Amino acid sequence: MLPMQSAESPDPLRDPAAPPRSPSPVPERFTVSKGVLRLDRFMTYVILVGGIGIIAAVFGIFVFIGSVIWPLFQSPTLTPLRELPLATSGTTLVGLDERSELPYSYDGSADLHFHSASSNLSQPLGLEPGTQITFWRQDRLNDRILLGTQDGRVGFVDISFTAKQSSPTAPRSVTGSLKLAPWLTLNNPAPVESLDYASQGERKLFGAIVNAPEGPKLLVVGQRQKKGLMGAGKLEATPPEDLTPLLAGARPIRVLLPGTADAIVVQTQTNELLYLFRAPSGWEVRQQIKPFADIDTDITVMDFLYGDVSLVLGDSKGNVRILSLNVPPGSDRRLFAETQRLKPLDTPIRHFVASRRNKSFVVAGDTQCALCYATTGTVRSILELPYTVRSLCLDAKAEHLGIVDSNGTLHLNTVHDPHPEAGWRTFFGKIWYEGYSEPKWEWQSTGGTDDFEPKLSLVPLIIGSIKGTLYAMLFAVPIALLAAIYTSQFLSASVKRIVKPAMEIMASLPSVVLGFLAALWLAPLIETKVPSILLLVLSIPLSAMIAGSIWIRVPLHQRNRLPRGAEFWLLAPLMAALGYLAWLSGPALESLLFVANLPDGSQIADFRLWWPQFTGLPYDQRNCLVVGFMMGFAVIPVIFTIAEDALSNVPPALTSAAEALGASRWQVVRTVVLPIASAGIFSALMIGLGRAVGETMIVVMATGNTPVVDAAGRLLFGDPGLGGGLFPLADHWNIFSGMRTLSANIAVELPEAAQGSTHYRTLFLGAFALFLMTFVLNTAAELLRQRLREKFKIV
Amino acid sequence: MSDAHSNPPSSAALLSSKGEIKVWLTATGLSVGLFMVIGLLLLITWNGLSVFWPQPVSEFTLTSQKDGAPEKIAGIITKNQTRRSAATGQAIEEIQVFTGNRDAYGLAFRFLDQSSLASTSLPADYIVAERSEYGKAIFTPVRLEFSPTQSLLASDPTFFPELHRLVKEGNARRTEITTLEKHEIGAVNARIDKLEIRLRKADSTAEDRAPLEQELAQLRSEYATLATQAATLRDRQKVEKLVYRLASGEERNQAVAEIIHFYQPNQLTLGGRFKIFLHHAIAFLTEEPREANTEGGIFPAIFGTFVMTLLMAALVTPLGIIAAIYLHEYAKPGIMLQSIRICVNNLAGVPSIVFGVFGLGFFVYGVGGYIDHGPAYPLPERWWFLASLGAVISLVLALLLTLKYSPTQALQPKSKARSFAENSLWITTALLTLLTLAKCPYFHGFFSDKLPSPTFGTGGILWASITLSLMTLPVVIVATEEALSAVPRGVREAALACGASKWQMIQRIALPGALPGVMTGIILAMARGAGEVAPLMITGVVKLAPSLPLDGIAPFIHAERKFMHLGFHIFDLGFQSPDSEAAKPMVFATTLLLIFLVVVLNLTAIQIRSHLRRKLQASAF
Repeated sequence: MLPMQSAESPDPLRDPAAPPRSPSPVPERFTVSKGVLRLDRFMTYVILVGGIGIIAAVFGIFVFIGSVIWPLFQSPTLTPLRELPLATSGTTLVGLDERSELPYSYDGSADLHFHSASSNLSQPLGLEPGTQITFWRQDRLNDRILLGTQDGRVGFVDISFTAKQSSPTAPRSVTGSLKLAPWLTLNNPAPVESLDYASQGERKLFGAIVNAPEGPKLLVVGQRQKKGLMGAGKLEATPPEDLTPLLAGARPIRVLLPGTADAIVVQTQTNELLYLFRAPSGWEVRQQIKPFADIDTDITVMDFLYGDVSLVLGDSKGNVRILSLNVPPGSDRRLFAETQRLKPLDTPIRHFVASRRNKSFVVAGDTQCALCYATTGTVRSILELPYTVRSLCLDAKAEHLGIVDSNGTLHLNTVHDPHPEAGWRTFFGKIWYEGYSEPKWEWQSTGGTDDFEPKLSLVPLIIGSIKGTLYAMLFAVPIALLAAIYTSQFLSASVKRIVKPAMEIMASLPSVVLGFLAALWLAPLIETKVPSILLLVLSIPLSAMIAGSIWIRVPLHQRNRLPRGAEFWLLAPLMAALGYLAWLSGPALESLLFVANLPDGSQIADFRLWWPQFTGLPYDQRNCLVVGFMMGFAVIPVIFTIAEDALSNVPPALTSAAEALGASRWQVVRTVVLPIASAGIFSALMIGLGRAVGETMIVVMATGNTPVVDAAGRLLFGDPGLGGGLFPLADHWNIFSGMRTLSANIAVELPEAAQGSTHYRTLFLGAFALFLMTFVLNTAAELLRQRLREKFKIV
Repeated sequence: MSDAHSNPPSSAALLSSKGEIKVWLTATGLSVGLFMVIGLLLLITWNGLSVFWPQPVSEFTLTSQKDGAPEKIAGIITKNQTRRSAATGQAIEEIQVFTGNRDAYGLAFRFLDQSSLASTSLPADYIVAERSEYGKAIFTPVRLEFSPTQSLLASDPTFFPELHRLVKEGNARRTEITTLEKHEIGAVNARIDKLEIRLRKADSTAEDRAPLEQELAQLRSEYATLATQAATLRDRQKVEKLVYRLASGEERNQAVAEIIHFYQPNQLTLGGRFKIFLHHAIAFLTEEPREANTEGGIFPAIFGTFVMTLLMAALVTPLGIIAAIYLHEYAKPGIMLQSIRICVNNLAGVPSIVFGVFGLGFFVYGVGGYIDHGPAYPLPERWWFLASLGAVISLVLALLLTLKYSPTQALQPKSKARSFAENSLWITTALLTLLTLAKCPYFHGFFSDKLPSPTFGTGGILWASITLSLMTLPVVIVATEEALSAVPRGVREAALACGASKWQMIQRIALPGALPGVMTGIILAMARGAGEVAPLMITGVVKLAPSLPLDGIAPFIHAERKFMHLGFHIFDLGFQSPDSEAAKPMVFATTLLLIFLVVVLNLTAIQIRSHLRRKLQASAF
């Protein structure tokens, strides 16, 4: 507390009922009333708590945004849920129902087993006696088991679950039931070795390998659903086709059908893949590829990922590679190409299961199990197991992972991986998305289909922000600095008092107004007037030069008659006149320089057509020129005000000294004022930069909002590429095209993002990046300014 | 002080002309800057005001034929421009004409090549009428039909007085319908909604439900009466018809009562034009929007902006002042304080969208969701009890430590250990209290019966105001601190020397002295808040709010409601309306209003500040 209080009542809190004591050294009229002291103490607490609380709350913003983006970078957790002994030890296939309450297992016998927590229940598939199942596998999308028999028949059994719950609090009882589909014969009475099934609308197709006596055969058999009056009609089998000749003697060992039911992927014994496609003319080999050509190894696992566009391959050395269908440059067909290589596991890959909701999958070796995400090609989590894995399964929501060990015990684990697609690589690295012919930085957060991969690279948005800022600064910095120099050094004090607030008013113009004017007034206005703008830009310095050179020819005594800062009043009309002239003569320049060739051979003077022809870059109506100009309104006053302050605060002793030594007024500015104020000017530029980076509404309204990538990325990240046109690296720094910035992206997409989704958190990450960028810029500027201030103190 | 070095340069300074051209070059920067700001303000003012000015209606006779006669079009010229023909590359002079009559033509604008115009005239009898539907109509009147048999020709001298009377009656009836539908039926509806929720919650016992159901039935019949009343009025609106002729010769008719306002632009005197101008301007400021915001007024947006800004100012003022007083008067100076100050300063430069993101995540989804349905992840009961117990214990301990002083101790500075214990106890209390409140397993929200439709868990005026007040907090803190430090040390010390307590000194000396500076800060904050749109877009602004945040239905202040805002109105009209060309006049008018508001606020702040600076300069010496 303050020392003065010792002069007051020595004990303000003394109990009034206490016995009287020796007379106080302070006379009664000098003692402070208790009310005052109590109020003082109360207010002290209020202000302490309030002040600290408010400041903590303000910094809480930082913490809160951080807490929202934190889960994006968390690795998944796998927690053991329960263990369940399965009835048979020979189990090779397990499946889970919706909530993993009733797992089922199948071992190739005539029965399927359901395992509830309390009992094991066998249910017959309904096979006719004597049928021997030689191949079985789980369908990728449904609770369905594909079956192949000893005598060359194929079919499947559907499993459905019904849950009963008598009251909301009572335990659920789940029962399963089976429905065997009619068998289809392959017309080759030999054991089925591999089988897959695909169904697309009314087209249904089985692909199978049978081990016929004359050698293994690749057979397909289709079904066509007749359209009846009463909805879906009867299924009608088409005769089986033998595709073995297409294999050219290679022995097929595994077959896969994508969901489109028009292609087959066959793995041969020589570890090659054959991609067979049903063209209108019949089946043909579209591609032959050896995925592990660089290492001598065997393919042990091959399956499609959700969406049936990517193949996951595992080998006996623990390698996992992903092949995706895309149209390579120079081709018109979709072919497989390796898009990802995962970090190898320590054990051979033996088991695989894919999620039915996104591109994550689980592979397992003997005692290792890895949760992976295909789009980013990352192993998200590795589980070291104390037992040997025999089989894997995931439920439909990919929330539970079941692992069967060699003793036939099912280990159920809860998988918690809400944001598998997130990570540093996603946000800042190039990613080879499905269907793309090369890795790309791309932002496309929402798509039309279920199996759409969100593309969440922040790079195009950051580039967009930098691009917008760059053009805004290019326009604003010269004007703001020149104006600041003139105002602080050459203008008379009385004019300055009007000019400064006028420029400050510019800072208060709401950005939504600037954006509206940019888009609906400026953009259409200058769309056809680019040559005029070019001339206008030239005319302004020209007018200054003309005026200046006339001025120095005026005799000195007449010059001195003019009051200080009058150049400005003389210059303004000249500039306006020259500017108007430049505006009018734009079309003349256009017809002189910017003549575009039309497809029909004629020529036309139009900059909008000339620009794409000359540079190979697009020309948009809402482009960076417009954004740069309008952002100028936001940035110029910020830079102007701070730079002007810095320039005005240069100690007069220094400028007077320079003048006394005979320097001209420009020499004073150049040699004394500018160097001393340079730190202040620099901090002004940084604060201006911060304002431009975060500007939202102008960009939302005045740009096309197309996320830009690539050439810009190449430039920044040093991957020399091949852009088009005359200037290969310039296609996305193009001043006449639009862009999407971080801030605009947030404003546009956040209202639609579901709370807690990866998209939502990624937008928060964008906000965090913006926050950090501007905060760092501003802090650096502030520190610079403080140093400057100290420097002046010494001077 | 700052002017000390800016004395006019001596003539010696001009002896050397070196770099004189560069001096002129620097002048261009200022010229361009001033041109930009003045040009922009003039552009907006001109365009914004000309929206209200009644413009003449021209009748164009085209060279093309239609039904055997030359085609005629009547309208207001809105733009002259040059277009480049796609085929030949020739420049073509064309005009844009506002033809109105969207119900007849489908579009309200038409482009005409100058070369296709045979003649242009300004016939005196054209009427421009604003209608409650389909926007403006431009026509010549034919006759008034009072009933299928009784009509009044336009050439009759009583025609215009009669038309004026009918339009006035129609307007009165429309007001009545609005009052009925919005206020009375709205009030009944609100009561029905409440009753239905109570019925849903009430147990199924008959004696519980019977009185409620009876009340409900009564309210429903009340509703039906009001609805028939409104329907009768609506039918009455359609009785009198105005038959009119378009420029093309087509005759159409229009219910007179649906005309809001009409005038004959080609017969107006200058005074008459002014009257219409004022009428338009007042209607713009006071009416509700029509036709997807492209017609009518912007009263709800003005009101929304006003309420939001006031709410924001009411929140930011005490917070900003308390924080500034803490920083300036109570906190210990040092590197820590210095860095806090820099950080607070820099928060002013953080993009507004970041605050919006925070507002959405924390206030709307976090706090709003909590108010709606209680904590998303409540603590298990046992842990919650432990936490609340801990909070109580730590509160008691903290109180004991803080308040229990022996008389001699009261004047001694507290020992380090003791103040540390005190502080950590208070912090523990605060954290535990927060925890028990935020994670209480017994709280299921105030609006759980309305779920899943959110009440506070979606954007609203309260959240928008809080978000903006957080955004403008640094502005107020910085301005207040600056003002506090400008109060001379001598005055403060004098007050303390006279025996004032610290708070008395702050309250009676420092704060009054700093008041103009604080005012400046608040005004600047309000100006920034009024013009900001990006954070509002994600925290509760909508293009068309069905009701105002303040109204006559209890509890009168509806802080959870979405609201309209001038800035968002501009964004929405200019970018999301189906016909942005038709919306442009409205956007310019709204822009003018917003700019006017913001510029006036800023000029006031600048005035106060410069006045303050001069006063300080005077008092420093």
